[in-house]
Amino acid sequence: MVVLRDVLAAIGRDPVANPLVPFGDLTGLHYGRFVILDGAVDPGTGRTVASSLVFNCCVDGPADQFLQALMARAGSGLWAVFQHCSGAPAPGEHGELLAWLRRHRIPTQTFYVNTLGRTVFQILKEAQLRERIEGFLDRKAGSTTTATSPSTVRKAIQQFVRGTNDLAWAMRPEPPLPWAWRLRDGLHRIGGLAVGLLVGLLALPFVPLFLVVLRRSEINAPHPRQDPNFRLSQFNRRQLSQDEDFFIQNQFSVLGFIKPGLFRYATLRAILVVADFVVHHFFREGDLGTVPLLNLHGVDTIHFANWIVVDQGQRVLFLSNYDFNLEDYMNDFINKVAWGLNLIFGHGVNYPRTDWMVFGGARDEQVYKAVLRKYQIRTQVWFCAYPDFSAITIQKNAQLRAGLFAELDSAAERDWLALL
Amino acid sequence: MSPPEPAMKLELFDIQGIVGRGYGKHSSAAYLLLEVEAPALARRWLAEKVERVHTCEQTPDPDVPCFNIAFTHAGLEALGLDAEALNTFPSELKEGMTEPQRSRALGDESGAADPESSPRHWDWGGTAAGQRPVHLMLMVFAPSEADLATTIAELSVLLRPGGLTLVRRLHTALLADREGGVREHFGFRDAISQPGIAGLHRTTSGQPLVPAGEFILGYENAYGLLTECPRVHHSLDPDRLLPPAEFGTHDLGRNGSYLVVRQLGQRVRAFWQFLDAVSRDPDGVANPQRRVALAARMVGRWPSGAPLVESPIEDDPTRATDNSFGFHQSDPQGLRCPLGAHIRRSNPRDSLDPAPGTAASLAVNATHRLLRRGRTYGPPLSTTFDPDEILRADEGDERGIHFICVNANITRQFEFVQRSWINNSQFDGLLDETDPLLGTRRLPTGRTTDTFSVPGCPVRQRISGLPTFVVVRGGAYFFLPSISAIRYLASLNS
Ligand code: HEM
Repeated sequence: MVVLRDVLAAIGRDPVANPLVPFGDLTGLHYGRFVILDGAVDPGTGRTVASSLVFNCCVDGPADQFLQALMARAGSGLWAVFQHCSGAPAPGEHGELLAWLRRHRIPTQTFYVNTLGRTVFQILKEAQLRERIEGFLDRKAGSTTTATSPSTVRKAIQQFVRGTNDLAWAMRPEPPLPWAWRLRDGLHRIGGLAVGLLVGLLALPFVPLFLVVLRRSEINAPHPRQDPNFRLSQFNRRQLSQDEDFFIQNQFSVLGFIKPGLFRYATLRAILVVADFVVHHFFREGDLGTVPLLNLHGVDTIHFANWIVVDQGQRVLFLSNYDFNLEDYMNDFINKVAWGLNLIFGHGVNYPRTDWMVFGGARDEQVYKAVLRKYQIRTQVWFCAYPDFSAITIQKNAQLRAGLFAELDSAAERDWLALL
Repeated sequence: MSPPEPAMKLELFDIQGIVGRGYGKHSSAAYLLLEVEAPALARRWLAEKVERVHTCEQTPDPDVPCFNIAFTHAGLEALGLDAEALNTFPSELKEGMTEPQRSRALGDESGAADPESSPRHWDWGGTAAGQRPVHLMLMVFAPSEADLATTIAELSVLLRPGGLTLVRRLHTALLADREGGVREHFGFRDAISQPGIAGLHRTTSGQPLVPAGEFILGYENAYGLLTECPRVHHSLDPDRLLPPAEFGTHDLGRNGSYLVVRQLGQRVRAFWQFLDAVSRDPDGVANPQRRVALAARMVGRWPSGAPLVESPIEDDPTRATDNSFGFHQSDPQGLRCPLGAHIRRSNPRDSLDPAPGTAASLAVNATHRLLRRGRTYGPPLSTTFDPDEILRADEGDERGIHFICVNANITRQFEFVQRSWINNSQFDGLLDETDPLLGTRRLPTGRTTDTFSVPGCPVRQRISGLPTFVVVRGGAYFFLPSISAIRYLASLNS
């Protein structure tokens, strides 16, 4: 384990270009990380869970294709890492390691993507487009006056892009997702809603019973407000924050036990299934948790997030890639989507007490912040292909490109220029 | 929509005066940074002084000097506060302003190899070897420089026998303008916009009052909760000097607060030189009108104080102290007051999420307010604050602001404002720019953030190559105890 930590530290010092696993060379990779989950004793059952290593990648296209490309580019580096895992094949054929990795792939129960279908390639080239256009405007600032019309400026920008060879791609809009994918996705949505409706109807008679059991569990579960030291503590803040605040983006990994008993476990598993469906189909263009009908305002600072049930259902691992600082992140969630946090994390040990699953909980500001730090673990390696850009910036860049050669009326033209 | 009066009436007699007011009528002030050398003597000194600490209940008599007192975490330790109690302070106080991770987050250790604002170079409170620790800060206010000198002399005579030594005296000098306001060195009216405290202040010029708990421990904060307070085990307070709290403890925090103190040096001539260079006409002739307009866009107010959202075209001294504005309704894109202007970053009012222009946004904004209590120091480059005169002057002396702010939760208030608003290079949809007055010009990764964009029609104007105008020269986090907590500290016997 000590050696493994050293290997990961070497990779973590330069995730982009280290010789072992040079994440920067892998096409289609948004985020990559290695996290060690330390073994622990489940406070509910007393059972011990062993330590494990998690390798997480958020990629464009099929995962298996990525895995093959990864093996081809960084096979020996992966050996250097995975040889420390029990049962890993002895060094030799990459094919064996690949097969072993495939066997050890575990599902993500809930997977959030800020904007479905936006590739790394698109994000990076649109950022470049933005930079080039901003530079162009800076250079010709002298010749623009308040009397110049918006359409004149826009035409000049279009002309600049047309005349720049390596921006030729920007003259066409990003192609939509393939029709076959969209068809499958549409059917999935309809089918999912139908199944959801059916299951909901069947479950209806059990709702009162569910609520009684839930309420009992909420009232009886110990919670951190009862513990003065817990409330005041920032736990491992110093150790954790050494990996934070270098870029616009940050990451965290949080690992916690599920509250004891089948009730909590089953409820959480069901919620994760529903959440996966809902974020995939309804929160796929930024704004996680925005529900205008309920006057709920969402969060637009999360890029990718994974909720993964690990250790035979005893612990949940949450991996997030977000904008700005952890304090921003926590404030954002407390202020805007505490209900969503509560629905999922409320089933974790030591979460601040929830009321009826959505109320209370994270709204207990300082206690919630202490809980997050307590269960946050160090991420040994974190790679992001575009760490300098917030989700909003990426979104603005995409709008800039989408509107560049589109038909716009004069109001839309002004709004488009305001993106710059 | 203002929050209801706090459920509990504020115990003004127990709250130090600086929370409620800036002692503006006391034209002279100094901050004495002290080190505890002999704890027993220092406690005795404190016991003598505590009855004279000015409170929120007393109306300050502008003719009579008065003082307030604050302690660093190291200072509380030096006075002999019990380790368990020390551990109940928030981590930012325990770790201090110069903890390396925090320095990076605050922008003091920026991407430059050896940033000028690094605590390694600070004049006080920094990390250079041999720097004396700061334990106490005595804030002294007096009607005149002469009175200030006498008061300080009086206090100082007793310092040595009081087991205390003076680490540094921070001088201040109010920059009064002809309109009856105070200015900061760049020449802008300051001390206009302050949050009003529910239960202490009447509503301030149309802005909603902020719950008392945002600035005073022991009262409900903007979340309707009590901010965690430092506490001592009841057995350590046999005389019951402190109010009882949960878990068999006594409350050391109630009626107290926290102070952030940062000495911010200003490069006044460099500021106007830069503005002068970028605002010249194409033929190279200086354009004073454009120059001041650009400076105003950086601040968000004109030199007189008039807010740009209300007078976008030119200064309007009749609006100097106007503060009853929001940003979203009249100026969502920053065409009047740029999104990146200092006042729009440090108090975005209704302009950010969750729903700009609504009470929901104001409610979130209320969780990030600062009560500014600092003062300027050093001689002005021009007594009329005329940029032309400043440009002809010699930068010479050191000058700036002793920035002081009161807040109940340093992480959620000061640190948040500094890091997530002032130094956020993608604040409110902007790109590669930080606060034009005082932001860092580089990210830890080396990416430069030295631009400032002025939204406009047909398209924005972007100024680049902003140099550093403000350099941090010292700083520390302090606990501002209640009067009873000071009595308790004075009574310790370790
Ligand atoms: C040398 C450094 C600084 C200068 C020259 C400066 C200058 C100014 C000026 C001219 C104003 C407008 C007057 C007013 O509204 O009262 C202002 C407002 C303000 N400043 Fe600063 N400031 C400095 C540092 C800081 C720092 C470090 C912070 C916080 C971390 C800060 C936070 C604020 C806030 C909260 C306001 C009030 C905004 C509002 O409510 O509209 N300032 N500052």
